[in-house]
Amino acid sequence: MKEKLHFHVNGDEIFTEVEPNKTLLWLLREELGLTGTKEGCGAGECGACTVILNGNPVNSCLVMALEVNEGDIETIEGEAKNGELSPLQKAFIKHNGLQCGFCTPGMIMSAKALLNKNPNPDREEIKEAMQGNLCRCTGYESIIASIEAAIKEGE
Amino acid sequence: MQEFQYFRPETLNQAKDFLDKYGKDVKILAGGTDLIIALRDKTIVCKYVMDIKAIKELQIISYSDSEGLSIGSAVCLNEIIYSNDIKNHYPILVESAKTLANSLLRNRATIVGNICNASPGGDMISPSIVLDARIEIVSKQKTRTMPLKDFILGVKRTALKENELVTKINFPKIVGKGKYLRKSRIKGHDLAQVSVAAFLTEAGGLKLSIGAAGPTPIIVEGFENYKKVDLQSNKQEIIKKVMNEVKPIGDQRASKEYRIAMIKYLLTQIFEELEKEA
Repeated sequence: MKEKLHFHVNGDEIFTEVEPNKTLLWLLREELGLTGTKEGCGAGECGACTVILNGNPVNSCLVMALEVNEGDIETIEGEAKNGELSPLQKAFIKHNGLQCGFCTPGMIMSAKALLNKNPNPDREEIKEAMQGNLCRCTGYESIIASIEAAIKEGE
Repeated sequence: MQEFQYFRPETLNQAKDFLDKYGKDVKILAGGTDLIIALRDKTIVCKYVMDIKAIKELQIISYSDSEGLSIGSAVCLNEIIYSNDIKNHYPILVESAKTLANSLLRNRATIVGNICNASPGGDMISPSIVLDARIEIVSKQKTRTMPLKDFILGVKRTALKENELVTKINFPKIVGKGKYLRKSRIKGHDLAQVSVAAFLTEAGGLKLSIGAAGPTPIIVEGFENYKKVDLQSNKQEIIKKVMNEVKPIGDQRASKEYRIAMIKYLLTQIFEELEKEA
């Protein structure tokens, strides 16, 4: 039996109904069509499903949809504004922070959450914050470089 | 994902009533980082999931010099890591929380959830034991507290009854130095292969708890009344006693022999650390 759900995603107000056993990841992808957030492992190990919930980056595969009632969610779809990519997105492209791109939405949301709380992290702080996001392609150096470039860009 | 209903009580009384009525069919949801995976894999089956995160009393970290520290069961690990009270007075809890999973999961995972999940290698369990933690448990009928060391009964088994809820974990005021060391396969997000938590009181007594070396944390006793000079001269005796009591197994994370070797190594390291300021 579906339950009512009310929340905001990328500034849009959503009223919907969802079954109790659905995750936030399912809700975003299947119900709202926001397929930028990816399912990698479904077990909180890879970070491909990272979104920002009430200001904190979380694995959306481990949040039940009904838990976000009255909540505020930011996904990768909210990054670009008025057709212009965000500084993080531009930096990832310029500094080769992606190859296949599957981990990238999660990487950017984790990085964004970090910079929202700490606008000038050092390299160790970046690595600590990004620890939950795995990448099989890049070897991570270019991801760290992209984040450092975005920080510099913001200065 | 299996079917279940979701209930989010706004008060502790609502939670107690619900557990009283449906207890045996309820699983409690705090961070969900263990429960949701278990529900998906059907290693746990239930009719109701009760989300405790809206209950205000459970969201609180409180500290006083007289009462010590109290952490509510909805408090997540990152809140612990960033709490000045905990950093200043119980730094071993910050140290152990930082080893658990990664920052994303720590925005959801809770110390009480880690304890109630009762995994043999639970990173918050041994550090809490050496701090003499007590668990507060409520039901509709009563409130009770018990030492954490008596709460964990076996692999994924605790003393919590079907109609009960853990509301907080309490740590008495304790003076001394604590240290948590663990060995894992990789530096990043991984479960512990083996871990050691130690607390050296100001008077010189030593409390030790070893994780992932048996079905429950191995609490090695007999050193609580040591005076400072004893720790240095009795190191080998302490290590010998620990090695007699631990019961590690081999599994996908480490062989039995590796665990045994690493317990000895971590103990030596921990003694060096504790001696630095002794």
